[in-house]
Amino acid sequence: MSLLKINGLKAGVEGKEILKGIDLTVNPGEVHAIMGPNGSGKSTLASVLAGREDFEVSGGSVEFLGQDLLEMSPEDRSRAGLFLAFQYPIEIPGVSTANFLKTAVNEHRKARGEEPLEPAAFLALMRERMKLVEMDPSFLQRSLNEGFSGGEKKRNEIFQMAMLEPKLAVLDETDSGLDIDALRIVANGVNAQRSADNGIVVITHYQRLLNYIVPDHVHVLWNGRIVRSGGKDLALELEAKGYDWIKAEAQVEA
Amino acid sequence: MSMERFREFVDASFFDLERRLNGAGSGPWHQLRRAGHQAFLTQGVPTTRHEEWKYTNVLPLLGLTYQTASAGSSGVAPLNLAAIHSLDTYRSAMGSDEVFLCLIDGQYLPSLSTEHHQIQGLSVEPLTDQLVANDNDVRTALASAAASEGHPFVALNTALASHGVVIRIARGATIERPIHVAMITDARSSDRLQTPRVLVLAEESAAATIVESYHTVGSNGSLIIPVTEIVAHRQANVRRVTIHDDVDHARLIGYTGARVHGDAQVSSHVFCLGGGFVRNDLAIALLEPNAQGFLDGVSVLAGEEYADNHTVVDHTVPHCHSEELYKGVYDGRSVGVFNGKIYVRPQAQKTTAYQSNHSLLISERAQVNAKPQLEIWADDVKCSHGATTGQLDEEAVFYLQARGIGKAEARALMTYAFAAEVVERLPHEGLRTAIEHRIARKLHAEPFTV
Repeated sequence: MSLLKINGLKAGVEGKEILKGIDLTVNPGEVHAIMGPNGSGKSTLASVLAGREDFEVSGGSVEFLGQDLLEMSPEDRSRAGLFLAFQYPIEIPGVSTANFLKTAVNEHRKARGEEPLEPAAFLALMRERMKLVEMDPSFLQRSLNEGFSGGEKKRNEIFQMAMLEPKLAVLDETDSGLDIDALRIVANGVNAQRSADNGIVVITHYQRLLNYIVPDHVHVLWNGRIVRSGGKDLALELEAKGYDWIKAEAQVEA
Repeated sequence: MSMERFREFVDASFFDLERRLNGAGSGPWHQLRRAGHQAFLTQGVPTTRHEEWKYTNVLPLLGLTYQTASAGSSGVAPLNLAAIHSLDTYRSAMGSDEVFLCLIDGQYLPSLSTEHHQIQGLSVEPLTDQLVANDNDVRTALASAAASEGHPFVALNTALASHGVVIRIARGATIERPIHVAMITDARSSDRLQTPRVLVLAEESAAATIVESYHTVGSNGSLIIPVTEIVAHRQANVRRVTIHDDVDHARLIGYTGARVHGDAQVSSHVFCLGGGFVRNDLAIALLEPNAQGFLDGVSVLAGEEYADNHTVVDHTVPHCHSEELYKGVYDGRSVGVFNGKIYVRPQAQKTTAYQSNHSLLISERAQVNAKPQLEIWADDVKCSHGATTGQLDEEAVFYLQARGIGKAEARALMTYAFAAEVVERLPHEGLRTAIEHRIARKLHAEPFTV
């Protein structure tokens, strides 16, 4: 069974249609990259998948592990194994990273009918998973993302992914705002979590991240549609030629 | 109509008290009472036309047929303190640390209180006309930090208070155990008004934590009008914790005045967690260089609850510091008021004074009125204030949902975290934990601490 099956998805915000019919299937073990110029609908796709309320779905369907994703609340999507790494992670004063994750992980466990983790076991697990993104344990006691640098916030997203062990992770412009060292750390963190069972959708504007997280499939999103799909070489071609030739081709086809 | 009746009641209670003084009528405390009585008559009961009482209408509180404590409660069984739930909660939180001082209807009852005589440096005495007459320090301090002229309910307390307690911390002594002044109103047999008076004298380099809590027993109306005065001499360190977690029909109009001398500090933590009506005035005067005032407050209200916090920090000399953080969470049809004044007098150069006030409205029918008021006459100072009123950040709620935390729980968690920021600043762990749990329970959240 595929992890994610998107069929003819149309969605928009405040009556404006942004996604105009997306088709995409992600199978276990696959990494898909979705690329495209600004305003093509990349972040809208991530938001619709995660269940952000501001977006209205006007057509099509999304199946996640055989379930109708669009019928599920954001928290149920997460508990079912969908993870969105936010482009702009939110600062939450007064909620420590450790307590936030404890709550989140235990909600996931509860949904699977498991007992909450013992505090000592949980702390050990957090310390182990933090190493994946070279985060200092002192971050655990700090308020979630509060005063974190851009790079620290993105590393924290991938740390959370490692704690929640999703079946499908959607990384929304996780490379934006990262310097080259942070980019490498974040990419290593993601690669460590690749397996034959899970899938990853990498949304990015630039090819740069894909040097580190090498995709199996690359899709180009433009004007609310996937206008071209290919292997990892497509990303290199885009890097070399820019997006204009894709736009031109798409207009001719339309 | 009820205002007139209330004034008659105050008059009658005052003259009744005066008749029973039996010789002490010419003593110094009674002179203060007379001045208080006059000041009350002059000022009258404040209406909402009075700037300081603009948002808070006290008239409905005065319509009951009150009896003062001195009228006695004959034929009523003794109180069972262990059965007073909120009292028991906070006493347990302090555990064996607690130095318990029990005031029932304003009267300090040593027989129900902790035996404190062996605690080095601590002295606790009932406030009596005789003590005021014979003790210079008490006489000087009484009414020094709470002036009848400036506040009608300080005047009323001063006019009618005939009991109370004096807590003295000797020079250089540090009392580690929290001193818990529990003010219990016995409203089992009638509507009850009580006017307890507390005097805290911290001598040079003395340190102590005073916890005050208020508890009404019985289903009749209660109105408690307490006045606490704190004098912190040079290098003293007084921490004052006020816990309002009384029953729904309890009403309180309280005043705390603190005088802070050189290199001394007074820290106040005010928790409004329950009770029908609370009006709290807190005035801290920084009198000598390097005096410091810290003012924390958090209100977590629901239902029809009402809490009004008025604070004044008066920077009278150079090189003093004050820091204030008040937060409120308002659910149901609750109403909060915050009025924070900071005065920086012309000579008070090099003052640092910071104030923040943040409110969260979690119900559409809840209300908050916030008014920061900085009056700065000196020019070489660092002062700031910030005030916000708003709802929860929905983007943050979504973020938590996207990690698997249910919407209601995400909202509760964020609301709890908002309030907990203030609670965290309370050093006593047992008390802090009890307050965190109380807030969490009220918000239907799990208690989380950073």
